[in-house]
Amino acid sequence: MLSFSSFVQKAQQLLDPTQGLNLSESDRNPSKASLFQSQFRLPSSQHPLYEITAELTIPPANATQGGRDRDLGYQYAGKLHLSEAYLSFSTTPSSFLQSASTSTSSIFTGQTHGGGPGGNGFTFPLCAIRRVERLHSQNFQFALSISTWNGISQDAAKDRDKKDLKEQRVTLQLAGSRQACERFCDGLKKGLRANVGNVAKMKKVTAECYSEYLLRPEDKKNAAPPDAGLGMMFKYPGDPKKLRDRAKMRLWAEYLRDNGRNMTLIRQPTFHKLIRVGLPNRLRGEIWELTSGSIYLRLENPTLYADTLSKFSGQESLAIDEIEKDLNRSLPEYPGFQSEEGIGRLRRVLTAYSWVNADVGYCQAMNIVVAALLIYMSEAQAFFLLSALCDRLVPGYYSTTMYGTLLDQKVFESLVEKTMPILWEHLVKSDVQLSVVSLPWFLSLYINSMPLVFAFRVLDVFFVEGPKVLFQVGLAILRINGEELLDATDDGAFISVLKSYFASLDESAHPKSENPKLRAVTKFQELMVVAFKEFSGITHSSITELRLKNKDAVLSNIENFAKRTAIRNLGPDSKLLSTDELGALYDRFYGVLYERQQRDHIIKQEQARRARTSRSRIAEAASEGDHGVEKGRVGLGPSTSLMDYDAFREFLAGMCKWAISDAPSTPRREASADKEKGFYGSFRRSDATLSPWGAGPEPADHEFLQRLFQKWDTDSSSALTLQKVVSGLARIKGKRDIMGTITYFFELHDNDGDGKVDREGILRMSEALLFLSRRGLEGTLNPTNSSLTLTGDGTNGGSDVPGQSVNERFLGSVSAFIRRCFEYADPDHPKNQDNAMPKLQAKLGSIQLEEHEGDELANPDAFAIGDDDDEDEDDLLAMDSPTASPKTAAQKPDTQPPTLQPNSTHLSPDDRRRVSKAQSVKANAALDPSNPLHITLPTFRMVVLADELLEQFFESSFPASFHIIEGLASAATPKSASSLTTFSSIGIGAGRAVNAELGAGAGREGAPGGAGAGAGAGRGLRGVLDNIVTDGMRVAAEVRRRMEEAQRELEKNAVAGQQQRASNDEEEEEDEEGFRGGEGGGGAYKGDAERRSVRSSDRDLLTGADAEASDGAVTDVGEGEVGRNGELGAAEGTGKVVGVEFDG
Amino acid sequence: MADSNAPKPSSSVKLVLLGEAAVGKSSLVLRFVNNDFQENKEPTIGAAFLTQKCNLPTRTIKFEIWDTAGQERFASLAPMYYRNAQAALVVYDLTKPTSLIKAKHWVAELQRQASPGIVIALVGNKLDLTNDEAGAGGDAEDVGAEESGDARKISTEEAKTYAEEEGLLFFETSAKTGYHVTEVFTAIANAIPETSLKTARGPGAAHAASRTEEQRVNLNGPRDSNAKETCVC
Repeated sequence: MLSFSSFVQKAQQLLDPTQGLNLSESDRNPSKASLFQSQFRLPSSQHPLYEITAELTIPPANATQGGRDRDLGYQYAGKLHLSEAYLSFSTTPSSFLQSASTSTSSIFTGQTHGGGPGGNGFTFPLCAIRRVERLHSQNFQFALSISTWNGISQDAAKDRDKKDLKEQRVTLQLAGSRQACERFCDGLKKGLRANVGNVAKMKKVTAECYSEYLLRPEDKKNAAPPDAGLGMMFKYPGDPKKLRDRAKMRLWAEYLRDNGRNMTLIRQPTFHKLIRVGLPNRLRGEIWELTSGSIYLRLENPTLYADTLSKFSGQESLAIDEIEKDLNRSLPEYPGFQSEEGIGRLRRVLTAYSWVNADVGYCQAMNIVVAALLIYMSEAQAFFLLSALCDRLVPGYYSTTMYGTLLDQKVFESLVEKTMPILWEHLVKSDVQLSVVSLPWFLSLYINSMPLVFAFRVLDVFFVEGPKVLFQVGLAILRINGEELLDATDDGAFISVLKSYFASLDESAHPKSENPKLRAVTKFQELMVVAFKEFSGITHSSITELRLKNKDAVLSNIENFAKRTAIRNLGPDSKLLSTDELGALYDRFYGVLYERQQRDHIIKQEQARRARTSRSRIAEAASEGDHGVEKGRVGLGPSTSLMDYDAFREFLAGMCKWAISDAPSTPRREASADKEKGFYGSFRRSDATLSPWGAGPEPADHEFLQRLFQKWDTDSSSALTLQKVVSGLARIKGKRDIMGTITYFFELHDNDGDGKVDREGILRMSEALLFLSRRGLEGTLNPTNSSLTLTGDGTNGGSDVPGQSVNERFLGSVSAFIRRCFEYADPDHPKNQDNAMPKLQAKLGSIQLEEHEGDELANPDAFAIGDDDDEDEDDLLAMDSPTASPKTAAQKPDTQPPTLQPNSTHLSPDDRRRVSKAQSVKANAALDPSNPLHITLPTFRMVVLADELLEQFFESSFPASFHIIEGLASAATPKSASSLTTFSSIGIGAGRAVNAELGAGAGREGAPGGAGAGAGAGRGLRGVLDNIVTDGMRVAAEVRRRMEEAQRELEKNAVAGQQQRASNDEEEEEDEEGFRGGEGGGGAYKGDAERRSVRSSDRDLLTGADAEASDGAVTDVGEGEVGRNGELGAAEGTGKVVGVEFDG
Repeated sequence: MADSNAPKPSSSVKLVLLGEAAVGKSSLVLRFVNNDFQENKEPTIGAAFLTQKCNLPTRTIKFEIWDTAGQERFASLAPMYYRNAQAALVVYDLTKPTSLIKAKHWVAELQRQASPGIVIALVGNKLDLTNDEAGAGGDAEDVGAEESGDARKISTEEAKTYAEEEGLLFFETSAKTGYHVTEVFTAIANAIPETSLKTARGPGAAHAASRTEEQRVNLNGPRDSNAKETCVC
């Protein structure tokens, strides 16, 4: 677990907003593996497994330039590296510490910074090695002789009599302890064995290299040469004579003969010189492929190109549309691209790449680059080279945000500032933006700026030495034209200076010179000299450093732009929100997505790490991680812009109190744990330490959230775009109009959109109201109400804030809401039911009424409570609350002045009582499952408006609960401190409110309340309080359960109606007895167990007339002390209803 | 040409073209600058820079035209080009509704981010693909030939109403036939306020104005000879 804690640390670092968004670890400290891969241009599947200092000896036969040491051959000291499938040697010091661990990062020690195969040496795929022998050497040296498949075709290997074959053989003297040498050799042995199977594949890949054809003995040249690009058909650009193509070809042929070709090529100084003077046309593609490392990609998956094409054949995409538009305008001056052949190749390569790298897709300028590549190489070669370009050489250049391009412009500008301060100052003064000139240079790798022949010369060097070449050339261009540029004072002049310079690159740099040699130097040659001599200080690592320095500014720029654009394009709904709100929403939206992606990544990394330790596979997982760490940041390119349900919850939890879970430790909703986030689930189980929600609070999961999500998800794609979120929020928050909000809330629960919400929906609505209010109401609430409670506070020792008791009373409002909804439920409204089922209803009504009255008489205590209920319809939940402040209740039940009774309803108590009784009767009918019922929007509106608190809720508190801009200040610690206070204060408020009501109710309640309170007093207040609100929300759920039960009962007891009715009566009486008992010795019913089911009794209140029976239980329950009898009573209550109904 | 109009005051106007890919931005410029049309125009990488002069009765305007790339991902480069622009041509394709939406986005972007007082013209291009009399009135050989019917998807009224709301100049053009192309630029030239010309780079660059202006006066001549220009106004 030690490693795990460090992982958590890392996760926290990453998630820390102050640093998490900036540079990733992998930027500052690239892993050894990635440095290794860049240095040798190897695929990302390769990791440095072993390394050892060694001396490479190339025997005389292989040595190119005769000279002094012909007998000894050439010797190079450097480092030998072994990866899974490659043996690489380079004289360039590697950029990483030998001691660096394989997976994590290290400090740069070399100057190359993974700069590419600049030095001398080789990169042999292990499958290209034919034999390794350990040489018996004197003085205990450890030497290996390596012979390769170079030049040996499959057939030649078989008939070995073809003795004219010259085997390529090099000697490596390992310098290290015997142990180290042995270890290296063991690794090599293993690697060789593992790669034997790839020899045939390798030969197939090399067969497409022109060098194989070139070096073939004359008598075998009858076969068609491999595809060396469109140039073979349409001629290569430039005059071959002027380019001295033949001479170059001869030089290369000699070099390749001596030093191996393609896969088995050994880099010696001549190699680099040959590249500097420009590659011969037919070999250009192959050398590009080799130096860029794209040949290794091709070796890894030779059929990827063809496979991709066939796999996606016939499919369409946006990228393809974009490609189509540009096909006819890619190097249109080259004859090959005026033909169907050339266009077809270009189309296929671009299309295939857009499929394999959908994130990049297609970017204008790629067409030009690929068109250029296709002049010199086959489609497959160009395809892989494009991959190497986009992934490694110019990363981010063609991404959807083009951040790489913009970043390199910044880097270029700072280099200009540093190396040519005078010119830079001039640019600043004349307000000329350098990048308007230089951006196309970089983006199209000079292909679009210089005449093709020269652009290709730049590319020749670029592929070996990496992106620094683009900078060196760019700086040289400015340096050479410095004086003229100092005369230019605007973009136009600036551009025309450079345009004419590019047009004259083939002219003499010193036309007036006396020296003919000097006169023969072209401007391009001069450019190359200045670029690579004068600016030799521009290295890969200095570029990397500058990139690192500017990256953040560039990304934020892009992000600001993206944000601006996105916000402006959010559609008409967005006008309802302020710009600040939109900005904040944007930030929150992408913030959540980004963080989730990061977490996801970390978790995956960790899983991979674990998997690795169990499998003991080296480094495998590490590199995978390094590449993706930064994904998701808007500025970097395509990031998720879709929010799934879980992200939505997290998003809301960032700005709405009610969206934060009450019980963060409880396991998550199973469905979601099983769903796509399987690993989250499993992760939680094993390590609760790292929350899948990161540093933020765990969001709640409630049906309301799901409804909201579905409502906002207008096209039911199970994902929200920012636009949908904004439209959704705009309707709640934007209109600031109570009717709109009410309508919205109603529609939210109108499943089928028919303008009616059924019984189920009403319960859901009330659940939602409770859910939303459980952390207290926000917004502007009626001041009179507050002041009312304020008085109450005074008597309670000021332990309260005014608003909180409002919150408390809101619970009551919700209970009233349910009742009213049932009451006014439209078509089957009892009042309107004369036609529908008049007799039944009438009878039912009268019976119930009688019962009710009887109860009241028989049981004054129960009556008191019930009566209280009648007087104030609001107290469904308030009834629970005596528990909340038992002490208060016990101590000052009678001191509460009657005026404290909240008079939030408009009816006089008497009226209400009457109405309520009638209502309760009807409400029973409403609960009858056989009796369909629903409310319409007008009814809903009426019901809401009938209650001041509800009205205020919709008018202000609900919209205000979305803290778009400021967020939840206490978001970091909502679980503990803040939420708890809310709970407790609600509880206290509730308790007092209820007591006040009870007190107002002629003090009848004194006895039971006091008893219950006394019993509850000893319990931890906190535990009690915590449960109040959540329990309250179960009320409606239970009602529904009852209804179902009732339905079942109904079916079961269809016959035995009459008797049952009688027995129900009895039972009810019993229940009342029980209640009174409980009142007297509350202990009897105490027990924390089943608080939930106890709560269920609350629901009886909702059922109206039956309420009294369980009210007592409710009181108990409220105290958190409970009793099974409460539940019992409730059950019986419902049973009775059923019976009664069947009576008719 | 500059000589013949020597007495008239001459000033530079930076103009930027924006719009969705392949709506014909570059073609419009090419038509304006070279009175030419190419079917296969190399896509603009970043932005192309061209200049063209426009003679008004009282003055000569030299347009420095930034023709930007239309592909969506190049959008983030746009601020680099519309910086200090005094005029903008926002182009859409009459036959492609999405291009008008994009054009509206650009208008909004310019109104908020570009120099205040920038003159914006909304231009619906490819009129030659519609059956409009006006489009056919040009020197088109095969107006609407490819499309047997009217390919127009955006009515003149719709775009015009929008342009009026936003206070934009509005034109429907055909870069192919040349219809209304020069009119667009002339209208822009006329709409550029005298005051903004004095400061050479528009109010946005007011701080640097006096200095720039001086240099500009001196350098205008030699530079004109550099760029090959044909005046079509």
